[in-house]
This record gives sequence, structure tokens and C-alpha cells, in this order.
Amino acid sequence: MKLRLNKTTILLFLMLLSFPLGIMAQETAAAGGYSLTDGLKTFWETTSFGNFDWRSMIMLAAGIVLIFLGVVKHWEPLLLIPIGFGILVGNIPFKVGDGIGIYEEGSVYNILYQGVITGWYPPLIFLGIGAMTDFSSLISNPKLMLLGAAAQLGIFVTFIGAYALGFTPQEAGAIGIIGGADGPTTIFLTSKLAPHLIGATAIAAYSYMALVPLIQPPIMRLLTTKKERLIRMKPPRQVSKTEKIIFPIVGLILTCFIAPSALPLLGMLFLGNLLKESGVTDRLADTARNALMNTMVILIGLTVGASTQAVRWMEDPATGELINRGFLSLDSLKIFFLGACAFAFATAGGVLFAKVMNLFLKDGNKINPLIGSAGVSAVPAAARVSQDQGLKADRTNHLLMHAMAPNVAGVIGSAVAAGILLSMLS
Amino acid sequence: MVLLKTTMTWGDILTSSLLGILIVFVALALLVLAFNLTGSLSVRRTKRRIVKNPDIPNDATLPTDIPASEIAAIAMALHLFLEDVHDKESNILTIKRIERRYSPWNSKIYGLNNLNR
Repeated sequence: MKLRLNKTTILLFLMLLSFPLGIMAQETAAAGGYSLTDGLKTFWETTSFGNFDWRSMIMLAAGIVLIFLGVVKHWEPLLLIPIGFGILVGNIPFKVGDGIGIYEEGSVYNILYQGVITGWYPPLIFLGIGAMTDFSSLISNPKLMLLGAAAQLGIFVTFIGAYALGFTPQEAGAIGIIGGADGPTTIFLTSKLAPHLIGATAIAAYSYMALVPLIQPPIMRLLTTKKERLIRMKPPRQVSKTEKIIFPIVGLILTCFIAPSALPLLGMLFLGNLLKESGVTDRLADTARNALMNTMVILIGLTVGASTQAVRWMEDPATGELINRGFLSLDSLKIFFLGACAFAFATAGGVLFAKVMNLFLKDGNKINPLIGSAGVSAVPAAARVSQDQGLKADRTNHLLMHAMAPNVAGVIGSAVAAGILLSMLS
Repeated sequence: MVLLKTTMTWGDILTSSLLGILIVFVALALLVLAFNLTGSLSVRRTKRRIVKNPDIPNDATLPTDIPASEIAAIAMALHLFLEDVHDKESNILTIKRIERRYSPWNSKIYGLNNLNR
């Protein structure tokens, strides 16, 4: 007889097979062993359905929104896509103790997260930033560096604001640095002062950096007159190669003698720049600004995103009760609110200081206050905002080159500010 | 430095904030001074070189007579030159037929079987 292998035959075969298996499972269970139901139950407990929590769903939605903004709106895609995907990775519900989560010692993500916690990812990113930054505009018009200092006002105002909202001084310092508009600096300082806030501060910093084109323009227009927005600045002079080589060496010595705590960041930033400008280490500069930098951006984005675990049950040291120390908390909301204030104050600080400087400058040397806002780091988004606003006022007035000076000075300024906060608060 | 860990008063917070922003200003003001100095030295040195050798192009004086549109055009030309280094390809992968289809390489006359005599 020819056996035809159709669906019915296969189903019958499986049913026949399940009888002896069922009997065996029953016998094992009767003998105090591991039953089929137990197996299914154990499996269920390891699945995300078994560990479902509505808060994780909110974070998954937030992750998808960030990916959407990166892919569709092109808002800082290099940052928002790894972070957004990291949020998805960090918020897939799992059974605690299985060695999966980012906070579980020895797990893969935990090992990758060590670069954030111990703070060695940010300096490597700074190495890449140094190797890709051209400081010519800054060297040609050094007084614009002061705008980069003025824009750090946001850091210290937010520091005060965070303390007023009930954060400890260390936490307030970590939140204040969001005003520096520099992701790696924020992560570096938070990892030293308040590691439990890394997720919130980093996400706030990167999100607001992506939103710079929305946050800054209204403040810039509010604080400047039409006449000021029309100011034309002298074209920057060409800078010699010697000056470019001297810059990282003198810059390192001067800034780090004042704030040695900023050495991990500024040391790497200026090293990267020297590799670029020396002209004899092109291979190293190329690796620093491309392969190394991209690797670090992927790792930092993914792990910071994954650190925003919505549910994280921890034992309260005082009462011994299990409490949720996850990302979704009132503190995170406060941090996001303070972060927005930090960016607003930083923008205002830069613009207003440019106006103050104009009081002392002769006609023909005046600064267009629109470039003051670029003093918040957020390279090069903030400089691009100055350019756009300048073009809106006068479509032949190009401010980009001028705005790059306070923009890169802001990177140095925020790293110095981080060093100062670190030395004061740790 | 103010020790905020142990003694935390509003006075400390405000003082340290003020101190913090002042230090940032001092650090960057020092850079301003240093690079004003190196800048003026560089310009002076270049001018001296030009006086000695008038043929050397001056790369440290103000290019006041170049309009922004010209700079933009030069930048665009450089960008196109540096980035657009590859040949334009059709992206269609096919075997290109040639006019002369006969070749001794596919000729039956020169096949291996012909050698078995």
C-alpha cells in the first residue's frame, strides 16, 4: 500500500506520538519530576509576555519615535537611531537573573555598558571630534571664543535650578552639564557624579541637540533686533599651518592647567586635532575620525539607549522593599524639563554676550549676535542654525564660518565646565 | 574648591556656580590672549617674508575683496573635484556583445578533440 503524506496523515502521526510522550510526562511528574506543564510554565516565565509591563511599552514607543525622527526627519540620525534602537533593546521585558539586561553583571550589554559607566567612551569620541574639527575660524578671530564661554551659562543656571528642584549637588551637576549641549561630556560627567542618571541626562542632551533647530531660533529672534541680525562680519583671515599646529598644544596646556579634571576630554580632543593638523599622521587621524569614532558612537548610542530600562526592581536599602528604579520616573521628567531650560539659557547667554561685546567693539568689527547661540556645543547643528537665521534676515549674509568659531569654542568651554564641576563635586 | 559634599548651603551652590562660570571665562580668555599673540606674530612674520620675497603668496592677510558668492563657487568646485572621483556607471550588469563574434578561442577547428589523430 502506498502511504500518502498529506496533512491528515502528519496530524495523525503527531497525535499518536503525543500519547506516549504524555504518559511519560505524567509518570515523571508523578515521580516528583519535571512535568510538561512545568516546562511550559518555566518557558512562559522567560518570555517577554510572561514579564510584560505596560511601562516597557511606553519606552518601546519612545524608541520607535526616536528612530522615526532619525530616519524620516533626518534629526541627528547618527545618534538618534542607535539610541532609539538601544531603547528597544533595553526595554524588551525579560526574566531578571537570566544575565540578559544591561544592569545584570556579566551580560553582553553590561560589558559594553562599562565603557559608559567608567567613562572611557566619551574621551575616544573626543579624539575623533578633535581629528575632524577645523579650528581655523577660531584661531583667525580668537575673541569669538568668549561666546563659547558665555554659552556655558546654561550649565550653571541649570545646576542651580536642579538643586532647587531637590536633586543632590552631584545630581544637579550632572543635570546642569546638559546645558553644554555635548553628549560625550554629559555622559562623562554623569558617569562620575551620578551614574544612576546617565540614561536620562544622555537622552535629554542628545534629544535637545537634535532639537536645536527648533529650540534656538525663537530665542535668537526674541533677543536680537532686525538691525543686529543684519550685521556683516569681516571674512576670517587665512590661518597658517604653524598656528594650527600650535593651537592644540597651547590649548591643552592653558585649559588643563586651570581645569585638570577636564584632561580626559580635552587631552583627547587636542590630540585628535594635532593628529589632523600635523600633516604627518594622516592614517591615525583618519582612523580617529572615521573607524574609531563611528565604533564609539554605535556603542555609546546603543548602551545609553539600553540603559533607559523602564522597569528595574531594586531593594530599598532602608526598608528592604522592592522598588522600581527604572527610567520612567518623576526625576526623569524633571531632568527633561531642566534640560530644555539649560539649552534655552545657554542660547540666551551666547546671544546676549555677543551684544555686550558689541558695546566695546568699533564699527566694522562688530559681531552678529546670531552667532552667539552657536556657543552651545552641538557641532555643527548650532552653527547651521546661526547661518539659517542670518540668511533669513539677509540672504547674502553667510555666518556659517563665523559661527563655527564659538561652536568649537563651546566644545572646549563645556569640557572645561565639566572639569570644574567634577573637581568641585566629586 | 568649595566642598559641597559635606556642607551644602544655598550660598555654596551660588558661589560655586559663579566661580564655575568665571573659571570657564578665564580659561577661554587665556586662549584668546594666546591666540591673539600668535595671530599677530604670524601676520607680522608673513608680511616680513613678503617684503623680502614679493613672489611668495601672502596667506595671512585679510581677503577682503573676495565676495561670498565666489568663495561658495570655489568651495563647490573643490567639493565636486574631490568627491566626484569615480566614473559614471550605468549600474547595468550584462555581457557586452561585440560586433565580431568569431574568435579563435571558441573555434571548433582548434578544439582539443582535433588533436586526437
